[in-house]
Amino acid sequence: MQNQLLEHYLEQLKKRCLVDGGFVHRAGGGYRPDATAWAILALKAARISIDELELSMLRLTTDQLEDGRISISSEHPEAFWPTPLAVLAWQGSPAYRKPQSRAVRSLLNKTGVHWLKRSDSAQAHDTSIRGWPWIENTHSWVEPTALSLIALQITGYGGHDRAIEGRRMLLDRQLSQGGWNYGNTITFGKELRPMPDSTGVALNALAGSVSRQDIKHSLQYLKSRVKNIRSPRALGWSILGLGAWGERPSEAPSWILESLRLQEKYGNYDTSPLSLMLISFMAPGGIAGALAK
Amino acid sequence: MRGMKKKLKGWSRRSFLKASLAAGALTLSGTFLFKHWRKLVGRLLPKPEKRWQSETFIAKAATYEEDIASIIVSGLGELGVTPNEVRGKKILLKPNLVETRVGAGHINTHPLVIRGAVDAFLKLGAASVIVAEGPGHCRDSMLILEESGLSDALYENQIQFVDLNYEAWYTIPNASHISRLETLTFPAILRQVDWIVSMAKMKTHHWAGVTLSMKNLFGVMPGIFYGWPKNVLHMAGIERCILDINAALRPHFAIVDGIVGMEGDGPIMGLPRHAGVIVMGRNLTAVDATCSRIMEVPPQNVRYLVAASLCLGPINEPDIPQLGENISSVRTRFKLLDYIPTQKGLRMQEIINRTQ
Repeated sequence: MQNQLLEHYLEQLKKRCLVDGGFVHRAGGGYRPDATAWAILALKAARISIDELELSMLRLTTDQLEDGRISISSEHPEAFWPTPLAVLAWQGSPAYRKPQSRAVRSLLNKTGVHWLKRSDSAQAHDTSIRGWPWIENTHSWVEPTALSLIALQITGYGGHDRAIEGRRMLLDRQLSQGGWNYGNTITFGKELRPMPDSTGVALNALAGSVSRQDIKHSLQYLKSRVKNIRSPRALGWSILGLGAWGERPSEAPSWILESLRLQEKYGNYDTSPLSLMLISFMAPGGIAGALAK
Repeated sequence: MRGMKKKLKGWSRRSFLKASLAAGALTLSGTFLFKHWRKLVGRLLPKPEKRWQSETFIAKAATYEEDIASIIVSGLGELGVTPNEVRGKKILLKPNLVETRVGAGHINTHPLVIRGAVDAFLKLGAASVIVAEGPGHCRDSMLILEESGLSDALYENQIQFVDLNYEAWYTIPNASHISRLETLTFPAILRQVDWIVSMAKMKTHHWAGVTLSMKNLFGVMPGIFYGWPKNVLHMAGIERCILDINAALRPHFAIVDGIVGMEGDGPIMGLPRHAGVIVMGRNLTAVDATCSRIMEVPPQNVRYLVAASLCLGPINEPDIPQLGENISSVRTRFKLLDYIPTQKGLRMQEIINRTQ
């Protein structure tokens, strides 16, 4: 029954593939690199033949900039946050080693805006530790840093100075009560609240590189928080985050299907969260497990 | 008690002098900044041809259980919004949805106020009403919809929600150029509707002083181009970006949920403050100035409101005829925190005098 449902949603995803390759952001929408990378990852996790994905992987290369970036739109090269997603989508496809290497090089060269923390700063986190931003010329934040770290690790750059510093940044942005949010910890003396999706992606990025002791409060937070979540991004990342640390809840498959069924109420999910749901269903060991498949 | 007296005594001798010097410096720098802003905005944006005048409507609403749709219909009527003006129009309501946490309903525009506005515009004959927002902290807007209770309120009436963070877009030159941003990128849906209604929450804010219907428009800027948080706007200057976005969009209407607002460390960590009001109007600057007065924050002390008064709408009390309740009957002092630089001095009379 679960497999039949999974097939149904995979078909829903496949229908969003454009004739010339690439995926639309949502049914009836236009091409988007982030949607394309997520769909490739989901279909790879489902062991769809690489040949079927060839045009989409190629489509991802067409918008790659000279320096290796993949931005959300060619008119907006500054919005280069899809770059690590493309690195993951090309993983394991020898024909795309070259664009993948260029994208990795661009990640190694790019950083957010950083500055030495002032003693009177309203924010508690160490603003000097480099990570990755969503958008050029802005500060580094949790999700783009975590995704870039996953991309570097999967391509063999997990020991690079930038990766080491990125992990340090994530640990610095971890909340003392456990969990992460978008990337602020304490502002004007008050600790901010964690968010499940940010926590899930950060736990994926740190799996295998830091000790369980370092993130135990975050695991605790996520284990208690995930039970009541059915929205796709938060649920998907939460399950992948727990899975990356061997803590995937046994109810995860039924929660995922429950979330997918919510589309009957809210309308079809966008391609990226739909793909994330499917990956979280198929990859019990976290995002790296999906790529290893 | 003795120790306390000693402490006070000590403060009055040494610290008083220090504080006086600091206050003097603050006033001088404040005056300089205000003058600088006035000059900048005056240079970049066309001045109104005649004196600004814009009415605002204040309604008392003690709780969210009141008939909010009727309150909004009555406010629209008082403000001269006729069924003819609304009939057949596509209305986009832009609430303030930031993040959710148990027991903190005062972070977001209340679902029943949004639902009331939906009903009110449909009652006046709107062709469609959609609710749209691009939350600035949380990537998963559906999580906020579900946990705030808004999803049920919308689903019951089959009201569409549009996540502005991921929509198709259009980019235009930043004509006012008060910030350094060369262009502004907006969700395409803003061009497909007839009315944009900013539905803010009445809150103090740790970077901007107050966050009301003008600041609420940060939520229309797509996260895919501005990030989570919308750090592009922070780096370019929050107050300047408020002006640029408002100058570019010129929304048609504002409804502020001040039934339970937020005081202190807003926009998320502050405490609930019951003000028991809904404030409405066609001009966002005038609405925000009125809200600010209700919160006992003189709008002449809020830098971006002063700048907005040169190009977007009035902030002086005589220029904002009040309909419905008087400000004095609903005035509620919102707590400001002296350790937050933007809030410090927001009630200082000296600044008001120097900017008038």
